[in-house]
This record gives sequence, structure tokens and C-alpha cells, in this order.
Amino acid sequence: MNSPQAKIDIDSYEAGFLLGLYECMVQIREFEEGVKFLFLEGTMPGTIHQCQGQEACAVGVCTALEPTDWITSTFRGHGHALAKGLSVDEMLFELFGAATGCAGGKGGSMHMVNMDKGMIPSIAIVAGGVPVAAGMALAFKMQQTGQVAACFFGDGAIAEGAFHEGVNMAAIWDVPVVFICENNQYGASTHVSKVMRAATIAERLSSYGIDGRRIDGNDVIAVYEAARRAVDDCRAGRGPAFLELMTYRRTGHSRRDACHYQPKPEREQWLENDPIVRLGQALIEAGHATTEELDAVRKHILTSFDDAVERAKAQPQPTLADLTTHVLA
Amino acid sequence: MLYKFKMPDLSTTGDEVDVKQWLVNVGDRITRGQAILEIETDKAVMEVESPVEGVLREWVAQPDTTVGVGTIIAHIETAGR
Ligand SMILES: Cc1ncc(C[n+]2csc(CCOP(=O)(O)OP(=O)(O)O)c2C)c(N)n1
Ligand SMILES: [Mg+2]
Repeated sequence: MNSPQAKIDIDSYEAGFLLGLYECMVQIREFEEGVKFLFLEGTMPGTIHQCQGQEACAVGVCTALEPTDWITSTFRGHGHALAKGLSVDEMLFELFGAATGCAGGKGGSMHMVNMDKGMIPSIAIVAGGVPVAAGMALAFKMQQTGQVAACFFGDGAIAEGAFHEGVNMAAIWDVPVVFICENNQYGASTHVSKVMRAATIAERLSSYGIDGRRIDGNDVIAVYEAARRAVDDCRAGRGPAFLELMTYRRTGHSRRDACHYQPKPEREQWLENDPIVRLGQALIEAGHATTEELDAVRKHILTSFDDAVERAKAQPQPTLADLTTHVLA
Repeated sequence: MLYKFKMPDLSTTGDEVDVKQWLVNVGDRITRGQAILEIETDKAVMEVESPVEGVLREWVAQPDTTVGVGTIIAHIETAGR
């Protein structure tokens, strides 16, 4: 892995593409920050698991996917959803419990979904997405659809039974699934070193015959390029693939976690390693954007978020009749 | 505009938290996201961030008291909103 503050190599890409990555990362950051303040104001009930600082993982991976590819996500799924093309409105409405939300107001923060955009409802059970993604990819292979499944999970998932069973199934079936571990180094208050004796998660995957690499998860270009290779391999019938994205959970596990178990120097070092700042600096140095232009991107996103909040507050809530819809049994 | 900051729902199980100490003084300018109050929940000591930018006009919550979630804890003068 590159050292945390390593320069992002953007030379191969056009300004428009890079600015798109930047805008999507800022969108995720400001969505999360906005939601955090709504919670602090008391406007939004419930708890939330947020992904500030991990934006490059979601954006790098989802940019490498086609709109027809599918993702599975977790309780920390707002970034994955935005990167897969869900709108701020449908997500925010869902967070407000509105009938117009992406899950009809019945799912909330931990169940972001849009079946037309390739996102099944995110799964709050740790490692729950792994066997599901293996199954989806098996269907793609059997039906020869050419689609790929991308499965996001955290470092906390790698000691779950479902993880090992799902990964092994995918491996023996040679299915087109990319497993993506966002190694943010903590599963709730537990450091990853306490749940794994091996040095990297990547080497554990190789024991299943799946090639995996450890990548600087705060370098959006490195993530994108690795994901591109993995997705191409899968589409060419050489799946599954694995990516270990090194990043950091800079918020508490959920809103009510004071996060005192993260050592201060470690936190500070990672706060300086900001995926958005790093891409921004590269864009400015390359002459693709000025500081003012990047500020304007952020301001525009902030204004549209505030507008979306006003719309969200005015959305209809589910009614009693909705109680029996979308129920299978 | 005077913004009445209510105690956020930071407790894990209960609906009350202990106020430990103020981290800013009346008259101080505070930014959005700045830690302004230290509290203790059923689980941990933690800092409360301000959801707005402005000037702190009054501390309603007093140190070494217990307040319910949703109680007004501070008055903050904001520019707009
Ligand atoms: C099977 C299962 N066990 C426990 C939990 C409670 N839980 C929710 S998130 C979490 C930690 C997950 O850590 P990680 O996979 O590293 O993801 P991160 O929170 O870092 O994004 C735990 C233990 C759960 N949701 N599911
Ligand atoms: Mg983790």
C-alpha cells in the first residue's frame, strides 16, 4: 500500500471524469454531514452508521461498474447507494420514514435500495451480503447475462461463518463477483488485529483461491483501477475477485459511539489522509480546477441538500394500509 | 435568529444524560460541528457538537445535572435559518 499521503496519480484521466469522481465523493460527505446535523437537531430520529472518510471506496468501485451490475451493501451504506446512482431525495425521504422513500419508508438508513439501479436492499447483518452476492453472481453466470455483482462488507465480516461459506461457494463456482472489504480497521470497538492473526485480509482470500490485493482505499484512482481490473476479470469469466481497501472509520460506529477506543495519534493521522482533499489537491496541481471551483461544487451540493431536506419534511408518511403491503408471509 | 438547541438523542438505552461541563462560554462564536458540551451517557463520556453556526447566548443546561433527551440545553444566535 502507498503511504497514506501518497500523491494520487491522475495523469491517465480526463478532467471531466476526475471532476465526476470528486463531485460524487463530496456528495457522499455532505449527505453524511447533513444527516449528522439533522440527527443533532433532533429532526431525524434513530441511529445512523456513517461513512465519512471512506468515500473513495464507494466511488472508486461503483464507477468501475456498469449501471446493469448489482451491489450488496451494509448498515453503512449511504455512500454505496449514492455512488450507485440513488438520488439524495429517495434516500433522504427514506431516512425521514416517508412513503416516497426508496424502501417506502419501511427500511430506514440501513436498508437503502433501488432495484432499477442495481442495488438490492442493504443488509444490516454483518457478512449477510456475502452469500447473497455469491448467489446473484451464480445466476448471472448460469443465465449468461454478463453482469457482475459487487459485494461491500467491513473488516468485521471476515470472521463470520457466512463470509467463509459465501466466499468459498463463489470460488468453487467461479462466479462473477467482486468482494470488497472496506478495512476501516474497526468492527464497532474491536480493532481488526483482534479478530485476525494473518497480516492482511487479502491473504486469507488467497486460501480460497481468490486473488486479492491490498489497496490504498483513500486513493480513489487506485480503488477505481483495481476495481476495473477485478470487474473486467469477472466479466471475462475469471471471477471471483477480491479487493482489500485500507481506510479508516473516522466517525463513531454509530451516532451514539464516542469512539474513545481509537488512539488520538492514529485518528489524527487518518483525518489528514482525506480522500476528498487528496483528489482535490491533485486536480488543482494538474490545473483541472481551482480552489474556488472546487468550493463551488461543495456549495452547490450543500444548497441542493438543504432543498432536499425541505422536500423530505413535506413527504407523506406510510399509512395503516401500507402495513400489509410488501409483506411476503 | 435564536436557535434553541435541544439535547440530542445520544443515550444508548435511557432517555437522560448527565451534563459534565461546557466547552464554550456565553458570547463565544461557535461553528457548525464544534464540540460545545461534554456529557455522560449510559455508556460513555462524549462531546456534543453544535448543529448550527452562531454565537452562544445562554447555557440552559447546568454542569452536574441530568437532562432529558429533547430538553433545551442552549440558546445560540444564528445568522439565518
Ligand atoms: C451477524 C451480526 N453480528 C453482530 C451485529 C452487530 N454489528 C453491527 S455492525 C457491527 C460491526 C461491523 O464492523 P465492520 O464489518 O468492520 O463494518 P464497519 O462498521 O467498520 O463499517 C456489529 C458487530 C450484526 N449486525 N450482525
Ligand atoms: Mg470495520
